[in-house]
Amino acid sequence: MIRNAFSKTQIDRLGDRLKGGPHTESDLRLLDDYRRSFGEAYEAVVRTIRQRGEFPTGRLAKSTFSIVEKLRRESIRLSQMQDIAGCRVVVTDVVEQEQFVASLRTVFPGASVIDRRDKPSYGYRAVHIIAEIAGKPVEIQVRTALQHMWAEFSEKSSDVLDPAIKYGGGPSAWRSLLMGVSKVVADYEEIEETYLNAVTANEKIAKAVAELPEHELECRKGREIRKSLEDSARVLEEARATMERRRKKIANSLNAGISFLNEKQLEGQTR
Amino acid sequence: MIFLIEYNRREGQIVTSCEFDDSQRREAENARLEIELDLNRRGVDHEVVLLEAASKDALHRTHQRYFEDLTQILKSAGGQNEQADRGK
Repeated sequence: MIRNAFSKTQIDRLGDRLKGGPHTESDLRLLDDYRRSFGEAYEAVVRTIRQRGEFPTGRLAKSTFSIVEKLRRESIRLSQMQDIAGCRVVVTDVVEQEQFVASLRTVFPGASVIDRRDKPSYGYRAVHIIAEIAGKPVEIQVRTALQHMWAEFSEKSSDVLDPAIKYGGGPSAWRSLLMGVSKVVADYEEIEETYLNAVTANEKIAKAVAELPEHELECRKGREIRKSLEDSARVLEEARATMERRRKKIANSLNAGISFLNEKQLEGQTR
Repeated sequence: MIFLIEYNRREGQIVTSCEFDDSQRREAENARLEIELDLNRRGVDHEVVLLEAASKDALHRTHQRYFEDLTQILKSAGGQNEQADRGK
């Protein structure tokens, strides 16, 4: 029989016992019941996202391992954790990310939005939306492909090199590498947004030029529109060139990581 | 599909994994609890995670760290970087 009603005190006391360890079987069962009580909220969120054409990967409930780790690392109480249930959506780029986040704000009007793109958490950049369904929070992680690439790189580094890496600790060389990659990805995405917006603007101007009657091409209005098209093409070209340079920086950072790992493997320091 | 994964973080490797149909959520949750209880009895601190994805490929994309080592993740990131470059 799965329980659905829990008092805040009961859950926080459970969190305190889990934090201290060792874990009793009855506490693990109680935690499991608590996690399962997020099931309906999780399903409602995932269903809503699917209706918007995205297929998130859902984490039905946070693992005991991660819950205990978070309780020990932070001052948070178990009843305050907002990511017991959650899902992840990886989109192509920042413009798509903006559009998707805006659509989630519309379908979950009371949701809180944590934007970690401008203020990264130890290099981690993404947008997290906490939707609340019948009093149960569900975390939706929205990442671009590059933000996701960095997050997986960081998580795996924490797994196999040092768990402190994810929270700003660990070997300084590796931490610098991770922070460096996060920065070049942020720089790249900044110019990518400019580029993608310029593409849209350029298409609109080109359409306006194409629709202009031939006799108006040489009049003042026609000249102005053609000038806008030339300016827009220049912005596009400059943005494309900057993007290429920043892509190379990302590639160089990733290659530096591979070289570092190869050296460590020779020394037998990584698995 | 629902995927139940027992993962050894320190080794960076999956220890056991199995799949369930979407309709078998209760069974998947029960199986996860049984693994967690067993690990606790044996004093093993593996992570046991239950994930739901459209397909195995989708799961590999969104939770790559369970399936690949650090070098593979960096190499595939480099590949994605090049692909995106060509796409613009």
